[in-house]
Amino acid sequence: MRRAGVLALLGAALLAGGCATGGFSVRTLPAETPAADNAAAIRKLQALQAEVAAAGERATLAPPAGIGPPLTAEEAPSMGTYDPWERTNRFTYRFNARFDEALLLPVADRYRRLPRPLRTGVRNFFSNLSEVVSVINYTAQLRAAPGVRCLGRFVINSTLGLGGLFDVATGMHVTQARTGFGNTLARWGMQPGPYFVIPLLGPSTLRDGFGWAADFGTNYLINLADLYRGTAGWVLTPLNGVDIRANASFRYYSTGSPFEYDAVRFLFVRKTLIEDEALRLWHRSGKRGAQTPAGQ
Amino acid sequence: MNRFRWLSAVWALTHLLAVQAAEDPPAGLPDSAALHATVYGTPPQDIAPLPATVPLQEIDIALPWARPLPAVLWFDRRLRAWFSVQDKPAPLAIVIAGTGSDGNTARLATLRATLYGAGYHVLTMPSPTFPGFVASASTTGVAGDLMQDSRDLYDATRAILAHLRAKVRITDVDVLGYSLGGANAAVLKSIDAREHALNIHRAVMINPPVSLFASMGRLDQLFARSIGTSPADIDHFYRRLFVRVANYFRASEQVRLEDTNLYAAAAAVLHTDADFAGVIALDFRLSLMSIFYEGDLYAGTGVFSDPRHPPHPGDPTAPVVQELLRKTFAEYFDRVFVPYYLAHRPGATRESLFADSRLDIIGECLREDPDYFAQTNSDDLILDAAELDWLRATLAGRIAVYEHGGHLGNLGDRQQVADMLQMLAGTWTGATP
Repeated sequence: MRRAGVLALLGAALLAGGCATGGFSVRTLPAETPAADNAAAIRKLQALQAEVAAAGERATLAPPAGIGPPLTAEEAPSMGTYDPWERTNRFTYRFNARFDEALLLPVADRYRRLPRPLRTGVRNFFSNLSEVVSVINYTAQLRAAPGVRCLGRFVINSTLGLGGLFDVATGMHVTQARTGFGNTLARWGMQPGPYFVIPLLGPSTLRDGFGWAADFGTNYLINLADLYRGTAGWVLTPLNGVDIRANASFRYYSTGSPFEYDAVRFLFVRKTLIEDEALRLWHRSGKRGAQTPAGQ
Repeated sequence: MNRFRWLSAVWALTHLLAVQAAEDPPAGLPDSAALHATVYGTPPQDIAPLPATVPLQEIDIALPWARPLPAVLWFDRRLRAWFSVQDKPAPLAIVIAGTGSDGNTARLATLRATLYGAGYHVLTMPSPTFPGFVASASTTGVAGDLMQDSRDLYDATRAILAHLRAKVRITDVDVLGYSLGGANAAVLKSIDAREHALNIHRAVMINPPVSLFASMGRLDQLFARSIGTSPADIDHFYRRLFVRVANYFRASEQVRLEDTNLYAAAAAVLHTDADFAGVIALDFRLSLMSIFYEGDLYAGTGVFSDPRHPPHPGDPTAPVVQELLRKTFAEYFDRVFVPYYLAHRPGATRESLFADSRLDIIGECLREDPDYFAQTNSDDLILDAAELDWLRATLAGRIAVYEHGGHLGNLGDRQQVADMLQMLAGTWTGATP
């Protein structure tokens, strides 16, 4: 019943959004903070320069241990992308854009009017919950150091951070490094596979889409503090989605370009492949033909 | 600790490569410093003082004169602009983006912040060459004609101001723009001098082209010299940058690409002058791709889209994209722009169309009216010496020419902003040495 209600609401909103044809509309965005942003950019640059100066003193050309030889240009994936379901994907991309414009973005706009500390609390809460999946997957990836770090973050933030509402760990320089089942599959050598635009969620690949579902299933099975089933699940999952949307600046079709789908696909798959290179346990053979589309 | 080790290795490697690169004589490329400034922009510590907060609104407007929307551009029905309002009566600064850009680029954000801090309401507008503008606000669909594009921009701005004036107290109106937007700004003021619909007071052009088509030709040349012209050349450029990003990222020990420090990444990825030039040229080429494709679609010239079978949003576009990556502005001019305008503008010739892309078309206004100003750099990539001389001679004492900065590489720095604000206030007395 509840599901039917949600679907009906969704359909009505999409219909209403599709019909909104007013000539002039104004949407208030969060105020920009140029002075603070620029100060942050200066700090970042100075930190980098300090690191470089420090690094220069003990400069060594010995290749860092354990990461294998650098990639060569021949090993780069081709410019084309493996997208056998392109027509469906394009349809889903358009659907997601309309859904975003009609429902998700307006809700996120309203959500952003809540006091910032409250929203930071929500964000920290979900971010803390995600550590569970990270710990499990780092274990499956046989990566002890980041696994212990995530476990540490989870323990610190769940206790000192009052159930994850405060991110005490980052203040203690234990920063977050999320991972999931998609990364685990990549580490053990699986290619991303076909490009796959997931309804409501957006660009992904078959492997990472499956990884996302597996992470969701893991959380559901563990059902930590009974947050993932029953009423709590119905409230928290959409809240998490709205919170993520409210913190992302991406706008569908802000490029105005007829090639936005191509651009997003290109960048998303290249990003995935670059992250895969850093994850992979063994160096890729480099035997793939230059014409093999990226991801296959 | 570990991070230092990775960084030191990356840095040492970068320096080694940079030394090798320095021995590689660049063939026909602009000055190295100009290329670097153009890519990196103003360093954050050199940026003019900025206000703590700037309110921002996104404005969507449907314009009645827009041409029928092709199915593949279904999302471009309404024009989008951005507005920052003061809480008291104030002058309005209208700021226009450069080639192919929307009304909310990082450069516009910098200008918006400095202008808002100086007490202006700020309206930032997309370039008339932005694909969303072409679809929602252009009367032709074929971008590139300086006067016609500016005319469309003028009418769009007017439609937006009609709504804003009802809610906001505007005491004066000035117009600015960077790159092609600078030329648009000046033409906007010249149109307004006849029609008085906006009542524009002063215009400031920041790094404007003098001849639009000559500047675009220069960027095509930069592409050919830094990347090449064949599909294999483009593939090679892509592979080179891909493996550098991948190797840099592998050494950085980050889990997600977006967590890496962009400055460090750029230093690790761009080594030679050809790399820097390639990135600049590619940025322009990506803008040109949409202009070319849309122009062809609207003009019905059949280069990419068969006018009898309009493309569908579900159609794969990868082959078109591959082809467009190699297309130059010259080809757009010959195959879309000229055929369209010869058919729609009585008496026009190929030569007259080329000549109409020069700022000369408002030369008299620029010479006679003391309210036009310009800021540019002596090493701007889009100008040659003769064009810079023309700007100097035409604007006489109303142009600031900085020694370094390449194309827009000093936008937002203290000197540029101080001069710009004085120009807008009418108190500018000349470039400080």
